Amino acid sequence: MSADPWTWIAAILTLAVFSFLYKENPFYRFAEHLFVGVANGYAITFYWHRVLVPSLINPVASGEKLWLIAVAVIGALYFTRFIPKISWLVRIPIAVMLGYFSGAYIPRAIDAQILQQLRATIVTRSMFGNWQFGLWAVIIALGVIATITYFFFSAEQKGILKPVSRIGIIFIMVGFGASFGYTVMARISLFIGRLQFLLGDWLGLIH
Amino acid sequence: MKFWDRLLRIDRRWLYAIIWLVVMIPLLFPFKIKPMAMPPVTRLFNYIDTMPEDKTLVISVDYTPDIQPELHPMCIALLRHAFANHRKVGLLTLQVMGLGLGEAAIRQVTEEFNSRATTHEDSIINGEDYVYWGWTTPIITILLGMGERITNVFPVDYYGHRTDSLPIMAQLKNYDDIGIVVSIAGSSIPISWVNFANTQFGVPIGCGATAVSAADYYPYLNSGQFTGMMAGMKGAAEYEQLVADKFDELGIRWELRRKGTEAMSSQTAAHIAIMIFIIIGNIAFFITRRRKK
Repeated sequence: MSADPWTWIAAILTLAVFSFLYKENPFYRFAEHLFVGVANGYAITFYWHRVLVPSLINPVASGEKLWLIAVAVIGALYFTRFIPKISWLVRIPIAVMLGYFSGAYIPRAIDAQILQQLRATIVTRSMFGNWQFGLWAVIIALGVIATITYFFFSAEQKGILKPVSRIGIIFIMVGFGASFGYTVMARISLFIGRLQFLLGDWLGLIH
Repeated sequence: MKFWDRLLRIDRRWLYAIIWLVVMIPLLFPFKIKPMAMPPVTRLFNYIDTMPEDKTLVISVDYTPDIQPELHPMCIALLRHAFANHRKVGLLTLQVMGLGLGEAAIRQVTEEFNSRATTHEDSIINGEDYVYWGWTTPIITILLGMGERITNVFPVDYYGHRTDSLPIMAQLKNYDDIGIVVSIAGSSIPISWVNFANTQFGVPIGCGATAVSAADYYPYLNSGQFTGMMAGMKGAAEYEQLVADKFDELGIRWELRRKGTEAMSSQTAAHIAIMIFIIIGNIAFFITRRRKK
């Protein structure tokens, strides 16, 4: 059994969280609130020491980049949200952030997440050099067309649209099944991780 | 009340208790499972194994403590593989909560190697063989900035050293010097790496994903935007097995813990139990529905 007091604290908090499986109780609530507080405190500390101090306070204090004061003032306008009379000023930093991130993100996202994904659905003759690749390429192309047809709401789903959208539903259901299977695996993995800690690091029963 | 009705109304706490036992017993009395590496994991392993010696492996520790059991074994396995293969490693995190996890991983693996090292060449030295840049924000600025000059994005490393004074950084200026970036994450950060580092700069991207995210990432694997992928704890176990085989090939006979592999017997038992639950639940549902009709 561990002699490390931090291991004991972690183990007791783990058991406190697991106690929720029986029913809601003060131990669970204590652990939950403690976690939220610690996580926020941790994040704020690092934002201060790793972002604000090296990127703003030090360069301004040394007189190297005094223009950063203007940027800091714009950023500080976020806090005007708490002063009703001038709360409209919050739109300025939001506009700057939206403009920057939209400009930086949208063109690349269109390329990476639409154009390159579309390209990956194109079936070419070279894919049939290996019959398995060819078969999967055809299935993927059919699946994409059928699934998009299912989400085509501009026309009533009858005639050719009906059987194709039905095939689309099958692809969607297979996708849901895969996601559910993976989700089960993920949740069990997290539980295993905690048991490895409780049985190994804390109780010393597994090595 | 009939048996099947009673079964449908069973208190879920009994199911929790069963799952608890089903997971715990194989951890205490494991049965041996040798993970078979699937193509996405093998592709990632082979790429890192055969990438040019002057290229650096970058691991982006983009996960948080709540998903550590799934993803931390991946990080450990990647570091063991890189150091056994004498590859240089750069670590960073785009999640502030990942800072401590990255440090714990690099500390564990360097201790494993350095405690057995007999010469300076065998040792893993901070600043020479690896660098831990730490964390900064925002993500887009980092991903674009690393394409120009890494030392501008991370002027100091996690330990407070100036990065431009570190020997490893002399040959590690920007994406041109990086062989592959492996983003280990439980969020959409690997897609950000694809959007910026891969699409704009052509850097190969590997992914270590939680099992929950894996289904969303397969299209990126199919399109070649991900070079390879490890999905969940099973993916970690597969990579651990490939690294163990590599250690055998290199004549390294160390007894190292492989947490992903250790978990596979519990994982298998839990999956069987849940499949049985689903089958029994469906049988009970259909029998009671027919009776009501």
